Amino acid sequence: MHSLRARLFVFLLALAGLSAAGVAGATYFGVRGEIDELFDYHLRQMALSLRDQGRIADDERAALQNPEFDYVVQVWSADGVALYSSRPDSLREALPPRAVLGFSDVPLDGGTWRVYSAATPARVVQVGQPLAVRRRLAAAAAGRSVLPIVVAAPVVALALWALVSLSLAPLTRAAAAARERNERRLDPLPLAGMPSEVEPLVASFNALLARLASAFEAQRAFVADAAHELRSPLTALKLQLGLLRDAASAEQRQVALDRLRSGIDRATRLVEQLLALARAEPDAPAALEPLDLAALARETVAEAAPLALQHGATIALHASAPAPVAGDAAALRSLLRNLLDNAVLHGGPAPRIEITVERDARGGVRLVVDDNGLGIPPAERERVFARFHRREGGAAGGSGLGLAIVRAVAARHGASVALGDSPLGGLRVEVQFAPAPT
Amino acid sequence: MRVLIVEDDSMIGESLREALRGHGFAADWVRDGRAADEVLATERFDAVLLDLGLPQRSGLDVLRALRARGDATPVIVVTARDALADKVAGLDTGADDYLVKPFELDELLARLRAVERRRTGRANPVLEVADLRLDPATREVSRGGRPVLLSAREFALLAALMERPGAILSRAQLEDRLYGWGEELESNAISVYMHQLRRKLGDDLLHTVRGLGYYAGPAKDA
Repeated sequence: MHSLRARLFVFLLALAGLSAAGVAGATYFGVRGEIDELFDYHLRQMALSLRDQGRIADDERAALQNPEFDYVVQVWSADGVALYSSRPDSLREALPPRAVLGFSDVPLDGGTWRVYSAATPARVVQVGQPLAVRRRLAAAAAGRSVLPIVVAAPVVALALWALVSLSLAPLTRAAAAARERNERRLDPLPLAGMPSEVEPLVASFNALLARLASAFEAQRAFVADAAHELRSPLTALKLQLGLLRDAASAEQRQVALDRLRSGIDRATRLVEQLLALARAEPDAPAALEPLDLAALARETVAEAAPLALQHGATIALHASAPAPVAGDAAALRSLLRNLLDNAVLHGGPAPRIEITVERDARGGVRLVVDDNGLGIPPAERERVFARFHRREGGAAGGSGLGLAIVRAVAARHGASVALGDSPLGGLRVEVQFAPAPT
Repeated sequence: MRVLIVEDDSMIGESLREALRGHGFAADWVRDGRAADEVLATERFDAVLLDLGLPQRSGLDVLRALRARGDATPVIVVTARDALADKVAGLDTGADDYLVKPFELDELLARLRAVERRRTGRANPVLEVADLRLDPATREVSRGGRPVLLSAREFALLAALMERPGAILSRAQLEDRLYGWGEELESNAISVYMHQLRRKLGDDLLHTVRGLGYYAGPAKDA
């Protein structure tokens, strides 16, 4: 039975039925006991009065013979001769002549009789009554007491159903409200009127909604930002295309073509950076495996070095000892690449860049990238991590995503990123990886 | 026609300047809001292409300051912000037009011409002096129905003179209209171009007022 309502209803109904049966049973046995006592008292009084009376008067005899009279009276002499019996014709057997004195239950004529025997020195008086009479009366009394319950049963059942429904109404309400929520409607479910048993459920559901809403909002903001940012390279491309179209000489056409190519490079780079950032978002599925950050740094720097050297940069890499981290190689390569590109871009006319990968005392790994550029004043250091943030007077062509990617990749690896002053005079970026759990 | 480009994206700024110069505009380019403020306060332009998201000072602030000075220089906002609220704010702050990036170069040029037409109070886009016709949109010039081929500089010089027939423009004013900053300029460039124009169009419609400058008008002895 999966419906809470049906289960509660059936259980409550069964409970109510059992109670009614219990009341009827208790009434029956209670009434029977009382009736027994009352009739026993009568039997005894009748027997005693007949015994003391000595003989039975004629009118009394007639009354005792009345077939509607339930009692049977018998008188015996002390030596066992039957002196009198009010036994009606319908009774085929007589009361047993020698009954125990006082009360006794005697099987007679297919039923059980309750008999009281009183004795004088000369005779014995017996008064008997069928127990069935008593039982009938007791059952009737019990029936009368249960009758109101039986009559009220449908009303009680209806009331139970209503009560159960009423109690479960907040659940129904919460379910209906939850059904109305979708990706466009994530406001919290109303908590007012929720019983304390349901409230924690609704509260956790609301917390989930809030997390979903902020995730959706972040996604939406990211897409809006991305769309906005893509417009600049596209604008440049359209203009460059216009220049190419209007080029009058072969020389102008060549210049326009070069410009168009650099515009396409820029758009491509922005799209790649956007993808890198989207992949590095903290909720992206993480597949971290053990790798050597020092080796990865050697590889990445070797790839990037030729271009950096063209810019007149000097690069030094200190990463001789293995630096084990649990990580995503592609993401970490992108982190290294972005730090390197930033250092080349902001390193001034003759950039000097030093990259250090080393294990620290606590068993974690430290990645430090120093440059000799202008650095970033402390007040601005938090802001530069924002998506699409470009520093004023910053080099052209940057996507404004580099540090955002660095931070997102670091966060996915449980690493922290700090900006500081470099001994080379420029910016120091320090990425601190926690010790790998062993 | 002298145009100021206010744009922080160097790729866009550079291409825009080249494209405008190629179409006979004198184009200058500044990269931030504060520089735009300074240049607009000291120099005269026929139109401004204004980006909104600028370093130092936002484009809207630059526009507001410009209008607060009582300067009616036509301003076309050129921005990536395409929200209705941004457009309304831009136009209500005093922009004459609003162009959302990315745009086609041809559309920008057409809007510049439209702004120029409104500025000079003309409904007909074609400039005419006697039988000399100049169409800024198609860049076609004809004299008596016969097409005349002009270089970009010659065209710009003729357009400047034909915008207000009869008005005398000094050599300095004409140089301003034709050249952006840093463009190489021979001291006698304007008279050289005037000479070439007269050679191509005949010397009866373009006049020199010694010591003052030049103007375009019907032949005096006709």
